[in-house]
Amino acid sequence: MIRRLLGSVAASIALVVAGAVAPASAIDPGKGQPGFCRDDSGVTVVVDFGKLGGGVVVRCAPRGSGTGLDALKGAGFQIAGVQRWGESFICRIENRPSAKEKVPVAGNPDYRERCVDTPPASGYWSYWHASNGGRWEYSQWGVKNRTVIPGGFEGWSFSLNASADANPAPRVAPTRPGHAPATAPAQGGDAGPTSDDPDETQAPAGDDASDSGSSADDGTLPKPRPREKRTAPTAVPTPGDPADDVPFSDGTDRGDVETALREESDVGTYAPWAAGGAVALLGVLGALTARRRRTARDGR
Amino acid sequence: MTTLSAYFLPRDLHPAAWWVWALGLATAASRTTNPWLLAVVIAVVCFVVVARRSDAPWAMAFRMYLWLAALVVVLRVGFRIVFGGGEGGTVLVTLPEIPLPAWAAGIRLFGAVSAESLLGGLYDGLRLATMIVCIGGANALANPKRLLAAMPSALYEVGTAVVVALSVFPQLAESVQRVRRARALRGNRAKGRKALRAIVIPVLEDALDRSLQLASSMDSRGYGRAGAATVQERLASGTLMVVGLIGVCVGVYNMLDGTTPRVLAGPALIAGIVVAMVGFTLAGRRVARTRYRPDRWRLAEVVTAFSGIAVAVVLLATSRVDPANLNPSLTTLSWPQLAWAPLCGVLVGLTPAWLTPPPVVGENETPLQETAA
Repeated sequence: MIRRLLGSVAASIALVVAGAVAPASAIDPGKGQPGFCRDDSGVTVVVDFGKLGGGVVVRCAPRGSGTGLDALKGAGFQIAGVQRWGESFICRIENRPSAKEKVPVAGNPDYRERCVDTPPASGYWSYWHASNGGRWEYSQWGVKNRTVIPGGFEGWSFSLNASADANPAPRVAPTRPGHAPATAPAQGGDAGPTSDDPDETQAPAGDDASDSGSSADDGTLPKPRPREKRTAPTAVPTPGDPADDVPFSDGTDRGDVETALREESDVGTYAPWAAGGAVALLGVLGALTARRRRTARDGR
Repeated sequence: MTTLSAYFLPRDLHPAAWWVWALGLATAASRTTNPWLLAVVIAVVCFVVVARRSDAPWAMAFRMYLWLAALVVVLRVGFRIVFGGGEGGTVLVTLPEIPLPAWAAGIRLFGAVSAESLLGGLYDGLRLATMIVCIGGANALANPKRLLAAMPSALYEVGTAVVVALSVFPQLAESVQRVRRARALRGNRAKGRKALRAIVIPVLEDALDRSLQLASSMDSRGYGRAGAATVQERLASGTLMVVGLIGVCVGVYNMLDGTTPRVLAGPALIAGIVVAMVGFTLAGRRVARTRYRPDRWRLAEVVTAFSGIAVAVVLLATSRVDPANLNPSLTTLSWPQLAWAPLCGVLVGLTPAWLTPPPVVGENETPLQETAA
């Protein structure tokens, strides 16, 4: 009877655990659409793996409002923030750079991203945005502090050993095919911060804006750079000639992140149970030992 | 059989062995935020402390470190609730948010509290808490007075000050107990502020008496002697020591950080150790003293130290080879995964609980009953 009870308890625990670790698909097919958005109601998200290797993925977040983080997640990308700041600082997209992968940043060719603290300035996900038919702009705002441009673009490009002026923009022009605007794009899209979301700009460690972790230290957030004044750095291509695009995919062929995580490390299915068991066993043994020693001392 | 029983003959282990063991475990804990591993490290330290501590006052202070560790975890989780715990999608509870003026943009008070941010605070706090428990374990197991005896001659004066400071709290606790017992025997059972005054004043007087006694006894034994070194010699050895210790600090920090250039890790550590050693030797030359009954470094000490080093090595190797599960992601709420290798590595730290000689019980105990009676 007791054994059966224990068995059912164990089974239900196992069920709960299994439910909790139910694999989330890397590109969540339930979220977003493959390729560019077809109309002005969505936001196209371009993720360029750059020097990490892995090409470019273009997907559409159907909801053209909210923060950059909403768009990135809404397009179906699986992301990981850093442990210190949470999702305010995107550390991995689609498990790249993974914990196991070597990121040859300047001065440390064996660097591995742990996603505990802000990634180094020489290897991080740079955050871009553009309106339809415009040009890629390096965001001066954090991913949770920007409202997206409906019908526009959100870009993520892995910046490896690039200087602040030469960050690589996503290598797909921000122009929706067949929807290139006849006139110059509206300038109103460079929206300011949403007031209620904390946190810093998506700038890497070493940048004073993010080092303190909170932009509240100096009281004001940095003003977004006006688009007209920008001296076009060499790395930013002049507005979108889709002919220069590198080949891109819709990401549906990418593997599942949870599975990849499981495979890349030799995870023991029962190791957490063993750990919990060890803690419990040591607790019981410790209590027994303490009692034995106390009786020995009192009886002395 | 005789060698075996000689091995397990009750004695106090060399304090440095316990420190190496505990620092190895602390190093291992600093490399991970996996709650399974951290919980196992805490359990290992607690069990070894329970199994191998003596009855000395410093051994009884281990509980304090546990409370401190718990406080760290509670504070970390509490801060996540107060300053915006809205990371991630699983919102547990939505507290009323306190609106702040525009100049405080970036700070949020209360509001939505998500499971992800609470767990983030828990993992982070647990790592620091585990390191505190490790240090507490070393303090409980190693005899600070014997540690002083094992110090290099150059650090002798600093070490003396440290040991006097370390033994203040146990002595105060003992004083309080003694005074309270004496009051109880006199039938004085007043409570509240009056009782406090009646305890504090004798305890303070006791502390003053003791420190005067300690000072005179140290004076009569030749402590605080300046020696026969010239100013230049002292300056040179002092500079070498400070520069070397800074090098050691930089090296250790970069060794543990893992994200900094490797040039600053190993080479800086080795250079710092060499420079500091030269400084110690120079400074130690002018302190002539003999050692009475030095602690010997025997097999049990080797076993203890190596078990700690082994734990650190396994975790450092894991963070190079298979780091995926050392810092579990909180993006999708799930049970943290764990590989077998680091778990088995941490369990190696249990070895001293069985493979060391038991402590001498009763010898270090201050005779409370006798003095009070």
